[in-house]
Amino acid sequence: MLKNIRRETISGYLFSLPWILYFLIFLLYPIFLSFKMSFLDINIVNPEKARFVGIGNWIKGIQDSLFWKSIFNIIYNQAIFIALTFIIGLGLALLLKEITKGGSIFRTIYFLPVVTSVAAAMIIFEFLANPNGPIQLFLLSIGFLDQPIYWTFSEWLPMPMLAVFNSWKWFAVQMIIFLGGLYNIDPSLYEAARVDGARWWTQFTKITLPLLKPQIVFVLTMNLINGMQMFTEVFMVFDLEGGPYNAGLTPVLYLYKKGFDDMSMGYASAIGLLLAIVILIMTTIQWKILHRKEN
Amino acid sequence: MNLQPKHKSTSQTIINKSRKPFRLPSAAKLLIYLILILGSLVVLYPFVIMILNSFKPGNEIMHQPLSLPEDWTLSGYIKVFTSLNIGTLFKNTIIISTSVTVLNVILNAMVAYALSKLRFPGREIIFKVVIGSMMIPAILLLIPTYVMMFNFGWVNTYRVMILPVALSAYNIFLIRQFLIGIPDAYIEAARMDGANEFQVFFKVIMPMSKPVLATVAILAFMTSWNDLFMALLYLRDESMFTLQLGLYTFKTTIPGQFLEQLWAATTLVTLPVVVVFFFMQKYFIEAFSSAGLK
Repeated sequence: MLKNIRRETISGYLFSLPWILYFLIFLLYPIFLSFKMSFLDINIVNPEKARFVGIGNWIKGIQDSLFWKSIFNIIYNQAIFIALTFIIGLGLALLLKEITKGGSIFRTIYFLPVVTSVAAAMIIFEFLANPNGPIQLFLLSIGFLDQPIYWTFSEWLPMPMLAVFNSWKWFAVQMIIFLGGLYNIDPSLYEAARVDGARWWTQFTKITLPLLKPQIVFVLTMNLINGMQMFTEVFMVFDLEGGPYNAGLTPVLYLYKKGFDDMSMGYASAIGLLLAIVILIMTTIQWKILHRKEN
Repeated sequence: MNLQPKHKSTSQTIINKSRKPFRLPSAAKLLIYLILILGSLVVLYPFVIMILNSFKPGNEIMHQPLSLPEDWTLSGYIKVFTSLNIGTLFKNTIIISTSVTVLNVILNAMVAYALSKLRFPGREIIFKVVIGSMMIPAILLLIPTYVMMFNFGWVNTYRVMILPVALSAYNIFLIRQFLIGIPDAYIEAARMDGANEFQVFFKVIMPMSKPVLATVAILAFMTSWNDLFMALLYLRDESMFTLQLGLYTFKTTIPGQFLEQLWAATTLVTLPVVVVFFFMQKYFIEAFSSAGLK
């Protein structure tokens, strides 16, 4: 018996070893290094010249208007993206739940953008949306537009355009999560509500939405954590400044520019940490709002 | 997750309806299908454009974006292989994605096995660390990991594209949830027969958890195949480039110069994942839907 317990303990650690090593090398140490570097003025090409600058990088980051511009841009983008994807995802999930035939065909089609790479999808999107592309030509020909829109050079359009692109790319994930949640709701609840004379909207707000809450919380949290770190979408279309008005500048693009173009790794580390703090604050606020209603 | 209706009353209504085969669908049903089809068209349109463009000569892509190809041509496809060497990019991407996939399946399953079926002191702490690490924004690790890889001398190697993504907390979590459902009796029986833990793992656990391992394999493969960021940071020589980095290079070196190649390459890069998806879509959809069940 004792021998068995010992055997299980040893194999327990042995089987966990990959994760323990992975955690130490690729997660814990980098986080430690990130803090350490944020206090240094360091260039990777000659690290021996690293200089301790205290909280200098942090102060510089907090005062850096371009960094805050990038934070503003990504929040602007996420506000549109999250609302749009939520409506499309939930709407299509509600429709798919109603039909009995062909549901799997629609699910398959809707998932195609999810499996496509951001780089490939962005090449297609840029072609479709550019001023000489099919969509604008069509809108011009029916008179919906007066003149072509150079959206990548505009001050306010890049973020909404990218939000539309990302909704197209990711709505299916949310749809499938919501659909799973919808199937788990006991139909007798709806039957009871119908007997009581509740209309569709009342059923939706009083039964569907409250019972979908776990899925909604999950989707919104994951969206925010991932969405705040947008990079490839803007990198494929904009220069490292994010276009003439910095309207396409996201925090990660800015961090990439600082770290790998300007080669100031210490400052880039500080920006990374500041961004992580912003994400933490925003997810906490979101969490508080989503859990408030219960009280 | 079971995406089929669970409750008997729903399936009962389906059966009742199917007894009246000539009943016309109600207006509401028709409207629902109409919206779903419209949605499908919006989703499919960009892919249709991609495929059409890949068969157009360069000047047609530029100047006739709305029409079908006038001269269907394979020149884009031929040029990506002859002048742009996309074969090498495929080779690199396949080596990297396959390694990432195999490592993710085996290593994550090992950890998940320890965390669900083996009892040892500290197990709960390790599990909490796994869960907690899912909340770490990846961006925090970017600069320090790069510095670390640079110091290791790993820049421009395959391993830098593989090892930092060889495990994933989310995948461990997925497999663990599945393993909890396997009765301990199977493991006990194998141990009784004199199997050691590795034999139990490879001969009992791995075969029994095929569905969840397929899900993990697909997630790992797709993420690795579609990655541009890591390739951009770590790969220097063109002989090491991956497909996504190749796409980016075709697009940006001289804008418009490689137009034919760009669209042929975009189609070729997208196709393998789409094919894998068609054959294994059940596991694909599972990979994403399991997420909502926490």
